[in-house]
Amino acid sequence: MHSKLDILQGTLDLMVLRTLATLGALHGYGIARRIEHVSGDHVILNQGTIYTSLVRLEQRGWIRSKWGVSENNRRARFYNITKAGDKQLVAETENWERLAAVMGRVLADEGRTR
Amino acid sequence: MRHSIRTIAARAWALLHRDRLDREFDEELTTHLELLIDEGRRGGLSGEEARRQALRKLGQPNSIRERHREQRGSRVLDVLTQDASYAVRMLRKSPGFTAIATLSLALGIGANTALFSLIDSLLLRSLPVRDPDRLVQLRYGAGPAGFKKFSPFFSQAQFDYFTDHNQVFSEIVGFSSLDRPLVTIDGATEPDPRVDQVSRNYFRDLGVTPIAGRAPEVADDAVAILSYRFWQDRFGGRPEVLGRTVTIDRQPFVIIGVAPRRFFGVALESDAAIWIATRAPMAQQVIARIKPDVSPTQAQAGAQVMLNQLAEEQGESADRVGQAELVPAGKGLSQLRSQYERPLLALTALVVVLLLITCTNIGNLFMVRHAARKRELAVRVALGAHRSRLVLQYLVESVILAAIGGTLGWLFARWGVAILLSMLPLPFVPSALIFNGDWRVVVFAVATSLLSALLFGLMPAWRAGEINLGMLRSSEGGGVPRAKRLSGVLIACQVGLSVLLLVGAGLFVQTLRNLSDVDFGFNPDGLLQISMDTRASGYRQGQVGGVYNQLLTRLSGIPGVRSVTAVRNPLMRGMMSRSRYEIPGVELAADEAWDAAQVGSSFFDTMGIPLVSGRTFTDADAERSQFPVVISESFAKRYFPGKTPIGVQLGRRQPGSEIIGVVRDARLSGVRVPSGVFMYNLLEKEPDRINALEVRFSGDPAAIVPAIRDEIRQVHPRLLLAVTTMRRHIDDSIAKERMVAATSTFFSVLGLLLASIGVFGVASYAVTQRTNELGIRLALGASRGSVILESLRGTLVMFIVGLAGGIVAAVAAVRMTSALISDLLFGLRATDAANVVAAVALLILVTVLACVLPARRATRIDPLAAIRCE
Repeated sequence: MHSKLDILQGTLDLMVLRTLATLGALHGYGIARRIEHVSGDHVILNQGTIYTSLVRLEQRGWIRSKWGVSENNRRARFYNITKAGDKQLVAETENWERLAAVMGRVLADEGRTR
Repeated sequence: MRHSIRTIAARAWALLHRDRLDREFDEELTTHLELLIDEGRRGGLSGEEARRQALRKLGQPNSIRERHREQRGSRVLDVLTQDASYAVRMLRKSPGFTAIATLSLALGIGANTALFSLIDSLLLRSLPVRDPDRLVQLRYGAGPAGFKKFSPFFSQAQFDYFTDHNQVFSEIVGFSSLDRPLVTIDGATEPDPRVDQVSRNYFRDLGVTPIAGRAPEVADDAVAILSYRFWQDRFGGRPEVLGRTVTIDRQPFVIIGVAPRRFFGVALESDAAIWIATRAPMAQQVIARIKPDVSPTQAQAGAQVMLNQLAEEQGESADRVGQAELVPAGKGLSQLRSQYERPLLALTALVVVLLLITCTNIGNLFMVRHAARKRELAVRVALGAHRSRLVLQYLVESVILAAIGGTLGWLFARWGVAILLSMLPLPFVPSALIFNGDWRVVVFAVATSLLSALLFGLMPAWRAGEINLGMLRSSEGGGVPRAKRLSGVLIACQVGLSVLLLVGAGLFVQTLRNLSDVDFGFNPDGLLQISMDTRASGYRQGQVGGVYNQLLTRLSGIPGVRSVTAVRNPLMRGMMSRSRYEIPGVELAADEAWDAAQVGSSFFDTMGIPLVSGRTFTDADAERSQFPVVISESFAKRYFPGKTPIGVQLGRRQPGSEIIGVVRDARLSGVRVPSGVFMYNLLEKEPDRINALEVRFSGDPAAIVPAIRDEIRQVHPRLLLAVTTMRRHIDDSIAKERMVAATSTFFSVLGLLLASIGVFGVASYAVTQRTNELGIRLALGASRGSVILESLRGTLVMFIVGLAGGIVAAVAAVRMTSALISDLLFGLRATDAANVVAAVALLILVTVLACVLPARRATRIDPLAAIRCE
């Protein structure tokens, strides 16, 4: 279990946005499943943490939610990405890639000099 | 930025809908859990196992719920409630601190609010009329250049002329207060009604719409409008009052309307209960509204043209033509405004200083408590409390203190205004100035409270931010030297501010004492002054003499009246005429002139001004149509040093004005105007006007005054303006100084008390903190005296620093404001050194007293107990 990546707040937000952008309206369970699936179960998800992320994103106006019915016929809240969310996703993705590249270079560099 | 606003809005919304959101989230979470269980079942798990797995995957529902709530924002509320209840517990645990803090805050905030309320209603607020900014009062000044006296009173003929011939005003209205009218309603006499007669267009043209009934029209006659307050007090606010009749001076008036609640008339202090509009002519004050496209200068010129034409039409001589003057009237007319503007500002400065002392004091007490709580706080940090929580904790505590203090202060403000108003030289308290607690005052009080809370709350809050775990280790606590230093700085500030306050109060108290000790040179007891206006009553030159003789006979007949005399201008009102005569053998400078009074023949007897040499006027002097002159001692000394002035002929006129006597110097112009070179002329047989009578009486003035009123009213119903004892005149003329002195004394005693509490608190703390160190010193053989000195040294150093700073600040402040306060002072200068010395001495005395107790505690330390304690 501890070998899996612990998720930073911002990272989880980004994953949620990406998931919603790809799949459209989803409830919390659906989002969690999808992230686990895509990451090949490399990301631990205490699935409940997703909800903090969802509140945060909704407060910023990047996603919207409305009530609907789930596949097991229960009332569930479905989340949707907004236009502002789309924009944010693009910006954050770029940011993340830049950061990942920098991190990659820095980590590689330390390996060589020692 | 937009995000944060959005987040705050979302959170605020969430706070308000907390329960619903909780329920919804529970539902969402349950669905999620069910879906997870279904997933497990599909994978072949048993029901029980599937549920366990699902819970593991989801996480603890409780902690998820908690975090969800936190993100939603309701935790802010939880935290605040927690902090608030903790703060209340802390405040209740130290009732002494809480009592001192809230009470001093309440006084500080109350004093500031009270003064704001007065300043607002007297200096800032506009009349509730249409276009108040363009309202002006019309006045005219007559007399030679430089000696001009301005009067606001116009006759009915003048008013009518202005209404018909003016070019620059869109509306002109007139009003006049009746003197003690006899008002009866349903046959019952009203105890003390104030009635203003107003021109019939008054309400309509001012733009004041009655809240019940209607405004008078120009066609109306004998109609009345009630003030809101009178309507409420006398008629219980019943609408049936319209159409009823009030009888005023035996004439019936029909009530046709009720004025709005906040309209008290154009003159703030007239405070009419009833306004009447009739066709009867009156001497009146005139208010006009400048036309929108007319500038103030043009309006002034237009008014002048009007006055000139009028004088020409009436065939008045050129020197009788008055000079028009327009005075802004948008804030209402007020005799108090010009006089009390500066005192109110000076008092405001003092109460601001007082509030600063209060805040510093509370901040200091907070600091001392903070030092004691440091370990507790460090424990909380160790247990994971965030530092911002500790800071918030202090801020919450101070806001609670400020809220209590502010609420109490609101009550104090109400009292304060009532007390201040009762010190004004007015026969009644004007409604316009009463503490009304409208939104402006509320905003001021709340803002002042919050600002104070921030001021004294930030000091300990700032220190709380520095709490670290290191403080757990040492028993002393890591930040002590700095806390002590800050505390010392606060003491220095308090002492400095107290010096400022004491110096200010000292100036005003000394002023009042000097004013009360003034030697008038006449006997002000047993003297009445009657002010009247012969001109506004319609008497012309040639008639005034006859009226005077009538008055003399009538008044002299009243039992208790010993003598009566006339003066052209009322005394003690700063209204002396200026005079200049050629003096043989003396070269007068170009602008040399002196105060002079035109008086009746028995003036000196009536006033009790002693004769020094020669003789005073006799009735025969007037008959002989000569111009005898009596001069003051100072006059004689100045222009006839070493010679006798009696018999000297002044001026070029023949027969000349002969000096017939010298009398002692007397202060006739006002308490503040020094007696000096002064000249008395005998009132002409046919004077152009007489504005005052002086009456020497014996017995109770309350018995004589009504008789005087009756007699004068029988001569002419509108002649009399006021009857006042001379003592009352004098007291009224120094009412301002009395108010400033009393108020500033109160505030400075309070400030001094607070400062001494501060010194006491810090000194005690210093001793307590170092008990064991001092114990060791005593054990090692240090003398008790040196221990005392050692324990209080820090406090005393800061005290001296504060004292020095305070002296410098006080001298600087006094220098800078000396222009503002110099005419509030009398008999001493703003930079009076003795005053500063006295303030400093008082502070030192109080500080020594405040240090006695802690010092004694220091000497009583039992060395063994102190050391064992550690």
